[in-house]
Amino acid sequence: MVFQQGTGGGSVSHLFEHYGAEGKGYSQPEPILSVDSLRLPDSMKRSSAPRWPRLSEPEMVRHYTWLSNRNFGIDTGFYPLGSCTMKHNPRVNEVIAQIPGIADLHPLQPEHQIQGLLAIFHEMQEMLGICSGMDSVTLQPVAGAQGEFTAIRCIQEYFRARGELGRTKVIVPDSAHGTNPASAAMAGFEIVEIPSAEDGRLDLDALRAVVGDDTAAMMITNPSTLGVFEPEIAEAANIVHEAGGQMYYDGANFNAILGRTSPGLMGFDAVHYNLHKTFSQPHGGGGPGSGPIGVRSHLAEFLPSPIVKRRPVMPQDRLTNANGEWWYQWHFPANSIGKVQQWHGNAGAVIRSWAFYRRYGRELKTMSEHAVLNANYLRYMIQNIAVERGLDHLFCDGAPVDLVKHEFTLSLAPLKEKSGVGAMDIAKGLLDRGYMAPTVYFPLIVPECVMIEPTETESKEVLDLFAERFVDILAEDPEVLHQAPTTTPVRRVDEVYAARNLTLAHPFEEE
Amino acid sequence: MSGTRWGIVGGVTMVDQLPNLGREMEMLSVMGMSSMDDLFSDIPEGVRMDSDLPLRPPQTEEEILADARRLLGANVALGERVNFLGAGLYRNHVPAAVFQLINRGEFLTAYTPYQPEVSQGMLQAMWEFQTLISELVGLEVANLSVYDGSTAAAEALTCAVRIHGRKATQKDTIYVSDMLPPSRLSVIQNYTQGGGITIRSLAHNSDGSLDLDSLKEAAGSCGIYVEQPNPLGLIDGGLSSVKEIIGENTAFIVGVSVTSLGMLEAPGNYGADIVVGEGQALGSPITYGGPLYGIFACSKAYLRQMPGRIVGRSVDVDGKEAFCLTLSTREQHIRRHRATSNICTNETLIALMGAMHMSLLGPEGLKHLACRNMAAMQMAKEKLSEVETIALPHAELFHYNEFVVELPGSASECLIYLESNGLIGGFDLSAWYPGRKNWLLVTCTDQTRAAEIELLAAHLAVWSSSKAQGVVQ
Repeated sequence: MVFQQGTGGGSVSHLFEHYGAEGKGYSQPEPILSVDSLRLPDSMKRSSAPRWPRLSEPEMVRHYTWLSNRNFGIDTGFYPLGSCTMKHNPRVNEVIAQIPGIADLHPLQPEHQIQGLLAIFHEMQEMLGICSGMDSVTLQPVAGAQGEFTAIRCIQEYFRARGELGRTKVIVPDSAHGTNPASAAMAGFEIVEIPSAEDGRLDLDALRAVVGDDTAAMMITNPSTLGVFEPEIAEAANIVHEAGGQMYYDGANFNAILGRTSPGLMGFDAVHYNLHKTFSQPHGGGGPGSGPIGVRSHLAEFLPSPIVKRRPVMPQDRLTNANGEWWYQWHFPANSIGKVQQWHGNAGAVIRSWAFYRRYGRELKTMSEHAVLNANYLRYMIQNIAVERGLDHLFCDGAPVDLVKHEFTLSLAPLKEKSGVGAMDIAKGLLDRGYMAPTVYFPLIVPECVMIEPTETESKEVLDLFAERFVDILAEDPEVLHQAPTTTPVRRVDEVYAARNLTLAHPFEEE
Repeated sequence: MSGTRWGIVGGVTMVDQLPNLGREMEMLSVMGMSSMDDLFSDIPEGVRMDSDLPLRPPQTEEEILADARRLLGANVALGERVNFLGAGLYRNHVPAAVFQLINRGEFLTAYTPYQPEVSQGMLQAMWEFQTLISELVGLEVANLSVYDGSTAAAEALTCAVRIHGRKATQKDTIYVSDMLPPSRLSVIQNYTQGGGITIRSLAHNSDGSLDLDSLKEAAGSCGIYVEQPNPLGLIDGGLSSVKEIIGENTAFIVGVSVTSLGMLEAPGNYGADIVVGEGQALGSPITYGGPLYGIFACSKAYLRQMPGRIVGRSVDVDGKEAFCLTLSTREQHIRRHRATSNICTNETLIALMGAMHMSLLGPEGLKHLACRNMAAMQMAKEKLSEVETIALPHAELFHYNEFVVELPGSASECLIYLESNGLIGGFDLSAWYPGRKNWLLVTCTDQTRAAEIELLAAHLAVWSSSKAQGVVQ
């Protein structure tokens, strides 16, 4: 991050310092009727213009380029952010998403104008169903959390349809992502949190103690947020099913298991997929995402509408050059919960993920294998280098297991105790070495937790070097780490100040 | 081991995204393992997948691109036709610089800015976005986007219930315009049913304005939701008196068309407590309805019950200006089941496109854009008024972007005729209002040209006069 020069020649660039002359931005043609003839009720005429800046195109381009230089993406460097699956985003996917046949389509166009798009949707529904062992898939939810909410709504309607109105509780482990309880609570369920076992795994006795005829569902991710495969998952599913509840699979960690196992095989009834994790939709600094869900057949009639089905082409169909033997059409599930997004979800994200899927095909299995290979290798190398240097007493495993899946956790509690250096200090130290920091302080059940997920798209050399640097930091002078980072565009940001002195917009009045 | 599955023979496609392909044994042996299966020995036999995934073989970039062009090329892009379809999503010109800049990898491939020291770029851009939206709608604070206009409306209503639930005389009750498209209402129903919230209807007069009696009934509820312009493109001049009628303890929530605010009054200036809307028309192509971005702005009184992420300005340890996420204690990763919303991933990159477009427009550019949208609509209204065999039920009223045409036959049939002449003629409103078989919603934007309007008028005249004379098409 060397290009620190701002747009005005100074060291910073502020959008709202560009005032310029009126109408300075990009030019537009004149309205096709004279402005004087336009009709508006007097009470609704805008009384004062928004205090927007005025930038010419060169100034605007330089401002946003300056900002981009103060931001870290996967393209910038290694991004081992646990639970987020920050893999490389293939660039042809971006080219494909700009083709007018997706970018310039409207969701209210009739089926015969969008046969090619529906063919892609259908292929994605099928592929996600196959990979997860589910019978029906909808692409409508636009984020993982919305997928959770959608699936929980389907389960809720399923029980309502069966007259089982007393099923008001959703069970989540204490290691779950925060969205699980938040999504279930939004649907109106009471949350029952169960503690993890000593080793961080699912505690079946704790589960048995809370299931009952008030259980609607259990929400769980596997591998868990510790990166560990739950060996007793099938038994957990039995326990919940015997109590009459449904099993919900949080697909945040799906990248670990494609082609090796599936939520269907584990006994789940519903699952969401994060296309922006497993299937490489770029996360864009916080979104967009896409969170399709898959369900077993008994829940299919409740899916949000519509979903894509196909039948053989018939003579009366309005053929396009996309048609081979199939005609694609919208299907409205009989007892659909309705809509969670008013159109058909994040189609642009689905297209990118389709292109990603095509790159792997059945070798999605190899993709997951490499994700797991890289995670285990990096974990081994960190441990090994630490032992060689006599530093392995400074941390311990988040979970005492031989194997992890796509990610792993370390507890830096021993380091914290010895020198006062915590997970946040290590995170900031990594920033100074040119890395994005791992996820820290999550899951909550591991003290001073760092959660590392390398993904399959990092080379052995990157992993080797990161392991060295990570262990270097453990031996770093605590004072240096408390001061870190020092090489970034700004140093540690005062979050308490931000919350106490709320400045959520440019303060024009200061000028 | 992997060699057999990969079939490393000349001409067989290999995945080109895996840097460690072919080095598996080297890495495994370091760990004392001898096969990829060893990495999965912790998966119990009973749940293992034993056969390969029954999916197609991998493709090369060139093959994927060719398939994408063939499949997507078979769709009818709006730009290939003379287009009058809008109904909530608008095909305005987005400057080229926007597309170039959002493809910068530092924006495109970043996650949520959890580490502010290396995420200042996106944090500052989103803080600026909050300011742009706040200025656009005339309210004090805005978040950095929710999924779309429909979820923004739904989240606004649950926010209103959290704020007014205790004091409201109509507890847990909200009122929404009875003109809402069913798809938007369905999202609201899904989001509110869990809170035991009752949705009641706000009625409209035949001229599209809010019915005053209906509005009085809503006083004392937790909140009301109306759209300006409404789903038929009508502008309600009476909204400026709404807040006075419903009172301080009922949230006044307005759903806006973002470009219209270049000409229409900012709702914050006529008493709105929360303003939401579909942001797409500023900065983003329609992309088959997603990704879009929902805007969400409110007055300070609603801030702590607001959904979604918010950026605040702060300082670093050296006292230098710095930005970070703030008020996180409202959010799911801290508050878990007591969070204000389950939203985590939002639409940051699309919001960034919006910010870039707004930056280029400036206040005068926005007004000019609104005038262009309105001028095209008004010219269409004038030209179609001249067609004797069709009617414009609200011709004398005020519109933005779109208006209703009443046909002498069904809109669905008319659209087929128009399509055979190269036009996407609008939206068949019977999909929203089943009783309105003959209503066509005609939308114009900055991209609509005078010649296209002439063409629509000419074809509507031909079709409708043949209809009126009972000629079978």
